[in-house]
Amino acid sequence: MAIFEPGKVLRTNLGEPITVDSFIASGGQGDVYKVTYGGKAKALKWYRPKALKDPDAFYESLKRNTEKGSPDRAFLWPEAVTERTEDSFGYIMDLRPEKYKELAEVLVSSGGGGFRTFKAVVEACIRIVAAFRVLHVRGYSYQDMNGGNFFIDPATGDVLICDNDNVAPNGTYTGINGTPQYMAPEIVVGAAKPDTHTDEFSLAVVLFMLLCASHPLEGEHWAVPCLTPDIERMLYGSRATFIFDPVDASNRPVRGIHNNVLKRWGYLPEYMRTIFLNAFSREAITNPNKRVREINWLKALARFQSDIVRCPACDNEIFIINAASTRCDKCGKLYEVKHTLKLYEYSVTAAKNTRIYRCQLGVCNADEALTPVGYVLAKPDDPNVLGFRNVSRTVMSATTPSGVTRQVKDGDIIPLKPGIRVEVFDGEIMIQ
Amino acid sequence: MPDIREQEAIARKLLPIIYVLDTSGSMSGDRIAAVNSAMNETMEVLKDVSKNNPTAELKIGVLQFASGASWITDKGLVFMDDFYWNDLKAGGLTDLGVALEELDKKLSRSAFLNSSVGYKVPVIIFMSDGGPTDDYEAALKKVNASNRWFRAAVKIAIAVGDGADREVLAKIVGNPEAVIRVDDLETLKKLIRVVSVTAFVLGSQSRSNNDASDDIIKGIKDQMGMDTEDDKSGGKGGDGTGVNPDKPEETPPQPGDWPDWPDW
Repeated sequence: MAIFEPGKVLRTNLGEPITVDSFIASGGQGDVYKVTYGGKAKALKWYRPKALKDPDAFYESLKRNTEKGSPDRAFLWPEAVTERTEDSFGYIMDLRPEKYKELAEVLVSSGGGGFRTFKAVVEACIRIVAAFRVLHVRGYSYQDMNGGNFFIDPATGDVLICDNDNVAPNGTYTGINGTPQYMAPEIVVGAAKPDTHTDEFSLAVVLFMLLCASHPLEGEHWAVPCLTPDIERMLYGSRATFIFDPVDASNRPVRGIHNNVLKRWGYLPEYMRTIFLNAFSREAITNPNKRVREINWLKALARFQSDIVRCPACDNEIFIINAASTRCDKCGKLYEVKHTLKLYEYSVTAAKNTRIYRCQLGVCNADEALTPVGYVLAKPDDPNVLGFRNVSRTVMSATTPSGVTRQVKDGDIIPLKPGIRVEVFDGEIMIQ
Repeated sequence: MPDIREQEAIARKLLPIIYVLDTSGSMSGDRIAAVNSAMNETMEVLKDVSKNNPTAELKIGVLQFASGASWITDKGLVFMDDFYWNDLKAGGLTDLGVALEELDKKLSRSAFLNSSVGYKVPVIIFMSDGGPTDDYEAALKKVNASNRWFRAAVKIAIAVGDGADREVLAKIVGNPEAVIRVDDLETLKKLIRVVSVTAFVLGSQSRSNNDASDDIIKGIKDQMGMDTEDDKSGGKGGDGTGVNPDKPEETPPQPGDWPDWPDW
């Protein structure tokens, strides 16, 4: 319920005016308004008085976050805090554009929740991991990942992350334990408080939910007549078991209920299945130090993205297996992989729009994981002629099969011709 | 890979909210009018907050009791989208015991609670402005002894006015804290909405502590006097242009910048 009328003027803690334009929505802790601040349309989140357990500490933490600034453009980060007035306070952030849909909404919708391609789903995963990597590198933990704080543009996979008011330096307890389905098991059983390792678990849940449209721990253990708190504590905590646990088969997905994951799991590339098996292994569930690191998600997801192509006959998306020609599972036509790029650990299909990132070239530090290296493009007047464009902002060196070495400047395009070896950063790409 | 557009909605538990409403003679006039108006409005708000709930789908049941008890939703619990409020009329006695017998009968996998996905713990909201005119104690004893759904349910009672027997309501819901007294009709209307929405929002959440009721009751008491819609921070409007530095810019090559590669 709106408590501020349009035209109401509030001030930031530094005295700058914020003019309320309209009421947007109510939330669990307060209300969101459209406001004008610094000449721009922004969102104001205003806490309901008494909604926060420790408002003084919360206010200080918010203020610190505004001073430090946003770690990544994906975060709808608090830009400014209001002064403390009317028994409460609020903060200013960017407005969320209309086309972005809440993750929860995507998941509960049939028909893919607005996603039209799997490539966009993978893109959303990459954006989320990349944003949390930066957040964690900065020493923050997010604390309360859930389906309500990711906003996704299903057309492109772009992601905005909101509710950054709980973000705090790793190890700080803000009074928030998280949202049970997404919480790490050690928080569910009351043995730990949120930190970066519990964020890592939540991140794996979010990625699984996006890629499989099912919950990784909800199988037969979940499909009981009545999900009482006792059962939930076991399901997400003391007896948390991955639905595809290789040893314990007691929590498998149930046909007729968990259809999405049953249909999709088998299609996922083996390396994606493996990384999920690692992320939800008994070891990773019980030992916070054994969680999958963001760099490893980025490596797997970047590879996955390059393995998704479109069937030229029926336009269906095909997940290329082992960078070799793969049959379209819809129309049966063989997708011929004409060229591949051999990277450090594996090869990827070289098709139009295949992108190569630094993390695919070999060992690199997490900061550089998503540094673009290059991408495949088609000649404008002849789609059958493919080239590889250097976007690495460095000079590559390319050696032809006959042994001639050339410099390839940033922005230059080289032909996708088998036998050319490209050296870039500390790694190499073999065109095959 | 099957078309992403064939993806189904994620599997969710069903969360029953069952209203057990006193429509005895003392409710007639302004009171039943207030209840009808509040329920109409509450159903709209519930539709909105439950629409995108990631953990549970809401199903509604309505049982009225006066001289005897009858289910408004007599064919079973109803999904929110299919539910329309039909105004109740008041008249008759306060057969709370018969209402409890009805709950005992229908809260069963072989009656209202059959489903392959299963349920969250049901929420039962009682509302009465009087005291029972039948042998509610025997019925309460029986339902508590034999019906696990009833025992596990989150039970909240709204006691309307001085005439409401709060002691009896406390026995039924098993906790005097869960009996909320209301005197004026405006507060009653607000309370029906707040109780419903809070019970849904908190009842749908997964939880690791045993007593959902405590959280819900605290939530209701905290939020009386305020709206409690689901969180939608972030807002709408504006534009989201921005360049992601992580993504290579896929500007289509301009004619002219495509090299000839004569000697590659």
